[in-house]
Amino acid sequence: MSDFTFDGNRKKFLYGMMAVGLVCLLWTFFTDHTPGHMRFWTNFLHNSAFFTGISFISLFFLAAAITAWGGWYIAFKRVVEAFTLFLPVGLVLMLIVAAGIWGHLHHLYHWADPQAVATDEVLQHKSAFLNKGWFTFGTLIFVGVWYWVARKLRSLSLEEDEKGGPLNFTFHKQMRKYSAGFLLFAAFSSAALIWLWLMSIDAHWYSTMYAWYMTASWFVGATALMILVLIWLRSNGYMPWLNDDHLHDMGKFMFAFSIFWTYLWYDQYMLIWYGNVGEETIYFKERLDNYPVLFYGNLILNFVLPFLVLMPNTAKRKMGTLIFVSILVFFGHWWDYFQAIKPGALINVQHLAHAAEEAGHAAEHGSHFVMGFTIPGLLELGTLIGFLGLFLYVVMRQLEKVPLLPKNDPYKEESLHHHVWPFG
Amino acid sequence: MSQPVSPIREPLITGHKTYHDITEDLVSPTEKTTVSWALATMASALLLAYGVFCLIWTFWVGIGSWNVNRTIGWGYDITNFVWWIGIGHAGTLISAILLLFRQKWRTGVNRAAEAMTIFAVMCAGLFPATHTGRPWFDFFMFPYPNTRGPLWVNFNSPLLWDLFAISTYFTVSLLFWYTGLVPDLATVRDRAKGLRRKIYGFFAMGWTGSAKHWQRFESLSLILAGLATPLVLSVHTIVSFDFATSVIPGWHTTIFPPYFVAGAIFSGFAMVQTLMTITRKLLKLEDYITIAHIESMNKVILLTGWIVGTAYLTELFIAWYSGYIYEMFAFYNRVFGPYYWAYIGMMGCNVLSPNIFWIKKFRRNVTITFFMSIFVNIGMWFERYVIIVSTLARDYLPSSWSYYWPSWVEIGIYLGTFGLFFTLYLIFVKVAPVVAVAEVKAILKTAGDQYVGVEAAKKAEAAASH
Repeated sequence: MSDFTFDGNRKKFLYGMMAVGLVCLLWTFFTDHTPGHMRFWTNFLHNSAFFTGISFISLFFLAAAITAWGGWYIAFKRVVEAFTLFLPVGLVLMLIVAAGIWGHLHHLYHWADPQAVATDEVLQHKSAFLNKGWFTFGTLIFVGVWYWVARKLRSLSLEEDEKGGPLNFTFHKQMRKYSAGFLLFAAFSSAALIWLWLMSIDAHWYSTMYAWYMTASWFVGATALMILVLIWLRSNGYMPWLNDDHLHDMGKFMFAFSIFWTYLWYDQYMLIWYGNVGEETIYFKERLDNYPVLFYGNLILNFVLPFLVLMPNTAKRKMGTLIFVSILVFFGHWWDYFQAIKPGALINVQHLAHAAEEAGHAAEHGSHFVMGFTIPGLLELGTLIGFLGLFLYVVMRQLEKVPLLPKNDPYKEESLHHHVWPFG
Repeated sequence: MSQPVSPIREPLITGHKTYHDITEDLVSPTEKTTVSWALATMASALLLAYGVFCLIWTFWVGIGSWNVNRTIGWGYDITNFVWWIGIGHAGTLISAILLLFRQKWRTGVNRAAEAMTIFAVMCAGLFPATHTGRPWFDFFMFPYPNTRGPLWVNFNSPLLWDLFAISTYFTVSLLFWYTGLVPDLATVRDRAKGLRRKIYGFFAMGWTGSAKHWQRFESLSLILAGLATPLVLSVHTIVSFDFATSVIPGWHTTIFPPYFVAGAIFSGFAMVQTLMTITRKLLKLEDYITIAHIESMNKVILLTGWIVGTAYLTELFIAWYSGYIYEMFAFYNRVFGPYYWAYIGMMGCNVLSPNIFWIKKFRRNVTITFFMSIFVNIGMWFERYVIIVSTLARDYLPSSWSYYWPSWVEIGIYLGTFGLFFTLYLIFVKVAPVVAVAEVKAILKTAGDQYVGVEAAKKAEAAASH
């Protein structure tokens, strides 16, 4: 079967997932006693940023593969393209977060609180960058351009299907131009958005590595999710040309970039630990003291387990093992985003609580266990299921629209005969 | 033919070569001595001799013959150390990471790049070994049960990690290079006579080219590639720790490790380009190191140049964003301070100039490539100078602010390392095939111009329609 049908049952299942997510979000909103509905908003931001990033990094993967003359991935290029087309949804989600700043609906960002800024020299200094205008327009313009490139690469790929021929490289050459340009744009724009969306939750803290580290996390998460979708498609009879070697290579990517992620994690942590400068160590001290499960869980899920399990060559060729590790690692990087967002947000809650205390209200202190912050609770898991359902829904809508094999891609034959085992 | 190759890929071996042509073209340079080679080697050896003289001067007179001072304790020595060690990165990247990524164009340049790596690491090692002025105490750096009482190496110091990282890197690179050489040395042996045959026979370790030999060779290559891949990252990561573990503003920043690695690959590829554009011309290797190879390497230069550029701008931005006045001053000082010229050199050569490679015509122009490769290496030298000297020159205590300019001895040692590098490279070119013979043969059927590429595809189409 070369065409995907997004039939009623599949749709119903994904609607079900989305419904679970929606119920959990609403439940969180109405039962949330943290000031400013912090649990609700952090969950919303967490999943929006994570899935938008997965879409972005898939585009990055596509652009990098095109630029580097990669041929092996053509067999599932349409799936990569479908992943990139979640970007408009991601844009809407992130604009909702932005709207929340304008409407004072949440207190995710300490810098967005004019009262806090008025008495805080550091925040005043940063306000040239950390302000709601930049947040909104940065999101709008950068994600907008990403989406524009994604559409462009998609339409060139479809045009190639129609008008291309065996020795006609016109479309591919055009794709290369867009891809190379995108890589440069992506390097700066993704960093800027990660600073705005995520690093600025801990508004005083800074680390030059942070953006690269979070991007690597997206990459591994996206690879894991893509492996799962590919195996699912194949086991349902689609894309019979997808062989174990394609999945083996995706497994290698997951393995290699898990180590790369760890490398960046280690560099950031070690240099801050060694330098021992209070302004910097506070970020990790907070996590080590109050979030040990998040902190160590992050390393176990994203480094120890994938490293040990995926090490043997054959592990990447056993579909059961690959599925198991992919689920683990996908969840692991979602966990990584959780630990990046929640502790800082809880401190922002405490700021609010202190302000409230001064105003004579009862204050809530957060140094003890707080469900949904100290560890992800059931509501967080439900929200993840909802967003995952949404993401897969969009991906499958896009898969349905076009043939699953780009028939005139110049590298098609290479990819259909992709073979890496045992040495070849 | 094994796997299909898309006609969009450019052939990597041109001139319709046969297996025999490949042997002839690649091995024959080792079988004759030319006057230009002898002159070049003598000139390099002379430069090396001058470097040795300057080193002896340093040891005799003392480190006072250098212009480093209390404020600026690291000058030319560590700048040149980091510069050379960076250059030594392309070899392993090409041989290990490109092997894992199955990039066929690596076969044209891997041998020379690996050799260059080894020589560059030797040049680099010279500086830490001598910068204390008392190299006879260098054995203090090795952790072994000693007679010096409680005196022990400082395992907490990145300078010591550096020693381990670099010696490991050197060992693995050497093994990798030598393993690849074995089949080619056997080829040279089989063509040689007399003493020459004996010598090559000794180094070829009895290679006969049997299936079993190849099987072991392939396994070993993959294992070494697996070992070398983390090393590509680890060496320059640890070099960056030498700076980033400190609390000096401008040095203590978390992006240093990956950004140093990218910079190292950047300068390494530039040096490969410098050497290969000359070598391919002199040894007439244009059919094996084609314009396609040069273009690919220029793309890597453009890419890594921008990674470095992104890191520079990230550093500047976060320095402002941090709101930390010392950090802000450190970067203000880099851009507008007394060493502004080095900063301009760094930005101009590393971030601005590689952008001409966005244009295909320039990527495929050998002359432009040659000059660009020199530019990049100048830029990367400035980068280290900016990081080390301009940062140290303005410390926390304005009364100790200083300005550093190298003495003739320091410049002499630096020139001497060029002498060492080129002497070794020229000897290598003479004794071993500069392009990996066996590996080029292995890709002939999937990258030779009579088999792949648009021309070959058109011919095949025409033949099929008749």
